[in-house]
Amino acid sequence: MILVLVIVVALAFDFTNGFHDTANAMASSIATRALTPKVAVALSGLLNLVGAFLSVEVALTVTNAVVKIQNKDGTPKPDLLTDGGSALLLIILAGLIGAIVWNLLTWLIGLPSSSSHALFGGLIGSTIAGLGWSAVNWNGDGSKIDGVIGKVILPAVLSPVVAGVVAATGTWLIYRIVVGVAAQYTDDGFRWGQIGSASLISLAHGTNDAQKTMGVITLALIASGHWTSPDSIPFWVKAVCAIAIASGTYLGGWRIIRTLGKGLVEIVPPQGMAADSASASVILVSSHLGFALSTTHVATGSILGSGVGKPGATVRWRVAGRMVTAWVITLPSAGIVGALMWWIADVLGGGLFGAIVITMLLLAAAIGMYVRSRREPVHPGNVNDDWEKPAPSAVKQSVSV
Amino acid sequence: MRQTLSLEAQAIWKVLVVGLILGAGLPALFALGIRSLAYGQGGEAEAHGAGTPTPHPLGRAIGVLCFAIVVVAVALGILFIVVSGFGKELSFSNIYPTIVDK
Repeated sequence: MILVLVIVVALAFDFTNGFHDTANAMASSIATRALTPKVAVALSGLLNLVGAFLSVEVALTVTNAVVKIQNKDGTPKPDLLTDGGSALLLIILAGLIGAIVWNLLTWLIGLPSSSSHALFGGLIGSTIAGLGWSAVNWNGDGSKIDGVIGKVILPAVLSPVVAGVVAATGTWLIYRIVVGVAAQYTDDGFRWGQIGSASLISLAHGTNDAQKTMGVITLALIASGHWTSPDSIPFWVKAVCAIAIASGTYLGGWRIIRTLGKGLVEIVPPQGMAADSASASVILVSSHLGFALSTTHVATGSILGSGVGKPGATVRWRVAGRMVTAWVITLPSAGIVGALMWWIADVLGGGLFGAIVITMLLLAAAIGMYVRSRREPVHPGNVNDDWEKPAPSAVKQSVSV
Repeated sequence: MRQTLSLEAQAIWKVLVVGLILGAGLPALFALGIRSLAYGQGGEAEAHGAGTPTPHPLGRAIGVLCFAIVVVAVALGILFIVVSGFGKELSFSNIYPTIVDK
């Protein structure tokens, strides 16, 4: 049944969400050696698991912010419910595939990108393919913050800036306050601080991000008639989503951890703690206010901010630039894959056969990217290596001789 | 569109202000705690001129106080997350935090 495919693929997305976002919480702690790599991902995984179980707020309305496939209370629109809801299931499936492909691609390149945007992008793409441009909620009705522009794009642009400002301020304050204190003292002290703030981020991430997949799966269940209440989530859905995101987190996403921890700023413990505290506070306040926030954007903004706030710190703006480019194209790229997947399935009859084919395509893409990644693997052993390779002049000399 | 932008600006402003207080303020308090502990320890914990600084117990006390405040703030933050997860919220009407329905 298509429903089974949707659930499996949704959990796969949750898994990729897990390893993509480990870096947001733990990259700076791993880079400063406040935590060893294995302990860091274990801690983060555990906290994500706990956090995921804590998120009881109605997750159904998450997708309602961007696409009009649901009524106001979260139940699917009636015209999509024919055939056991297969039209809606196909849109969800195609959207999820778009999201996973983008997540894997950015993981392969080692670029932190927003899993939330990938999910929204994929869904928007498949919705446009299946239902047309008008089925997307671009700006709500203007009376409150809603829609793709209000809830996704504008926060995406503004949140890293806010996080950066907070982190820069925090870093600057810290360095002014501990002037003269011995380096060993500050480093050890702030490493402890980092453990605390990184743990907070992991907890916040669990409560925030697992919800999205729970919402998608519950929507699929309602669409196919297996669940009726839009106010609660079946416990087994919560459990498997929690386990999926926690195990993904534990797997680590080392390529991304390396970029965020070593590639942007050469981080030391005081910066790390300031960055993590900034991330945690911005994520918590924003989600309290109802924004569909990207933990990735916030974490990256914070790390950049901590680099700016410390006098004399190196910030690799070129790497940051590449990241921002990847962010900007996330929504459309995931959308294009999502739309493409929908069309392929539709051309093949729109039923179970089409669904199976696009899932097989996903599997092929995933295996391909995994194999490619093994050429230059990043793992706990080399995640903290120096970012820049040694100068080529030494190699040239030996060759000319 | 303009309406959205102004609503957005108001919300972002809140995030910035609270973010600064918690996200920059707490680390600063933590840093103060570290500095106080270093002052309290004496010896080589701080850069100094000739001679070795003596330990100052007051420094240690202040340091511990700073860390205690940070820990309490973080605990409140965690409580806040847990409570929101259950659809309730924290109320401070009795000075100390109580859990009430939203």
